[in-house]
Amino acid sequence: MNRIYAIPSVAQLWASRAAQRSAALVAGDGSIPFTRLHKPLSAARGILITTGGVHLKTQPPFDMENSDGDASYREIPDNVAPDEITITHKYYDHRDADADLNVIFPLAHFHDLVRQGVIGSLASRHFGFMGHIEGEQLAILMKYSAPEVAAKLRAEGVDFAFLTPA
Amino acid sequence: MSVSLARDLTEAVGTPRAVFVKWPLGHPLGEPHAPLQQRTVIFRALHLLVTASQPGVIEDLGFRWRRETYTEPDWSKLEGTKQEGTKQ
Repeated sequence: MNRIYAIPSVAQLWASRAAQRSAALVAGDGSIPFTRLHKPLSAARGILITTGGVHLKTQPPFDMENSDGDASYREIPDNVAPDEITITHKYYDHRDADADLNVIFPLAHFHDLVRQGVIGSLASRHFGFMGHIEGEQLAILMKYSAPEVAAKLRAEGVDFAFLTPA
Repeated sequence: MSVSLARDLTEAVGTPRAVFVKWPLGHPLGEPHAPLQQRTVIFRALHLLVTASQPGVIEDLGFRWRRETYTEPDWSKLEGTKQEGTKQ
């Protein structure tokens, strides 16, 4: 079933319908948070966050049995080897990401950019979520998981996050 | 900043900055073993990071799926780039 979303126009139709459900979830006055990057990119510290179900093989997999998804997250060390990583997510076709992790979690490219001096540095860890979250799990995500990770980003002193969806 | 594979959804949730690619779900950076394509998406996202001057910008990269040719980005173009409206 998830292979049908490999058709871009089908994915956009799904996005349009999901957007109608999600708009009601955005709290407050609808304003969008925004902070300018106040230093050169070559001095900035970045972090990767993905909702593609990326985690270490040694960590518990995301819960695929709960129809509301899994609001927990996994910390992925910056110095991880690619073969230590796996993907648990049944709501999209991740065969290409399995074949080349850079399709969804481009850590190798960001390491290159640090070596080139394009980016100042990377955080000591990155974050993996599983991006099919609804109902009760969505409430847990908004009340607990997201604020926890936000606090960890502050502790890491990051200047920007690079987010990749599934 | 975010890569978006679902423009309407990105607009609905209010992302500070995003680059949109109309590609299959599960492929925010493109195809496997296509480093030039993947690095181009990263370059365009970082370019938006340093140039966006207002929240909610979604830049449509306009790349067709499996019908483009990519080259290594000129990363030096990110050096010293400022947000629009920012004094140099």
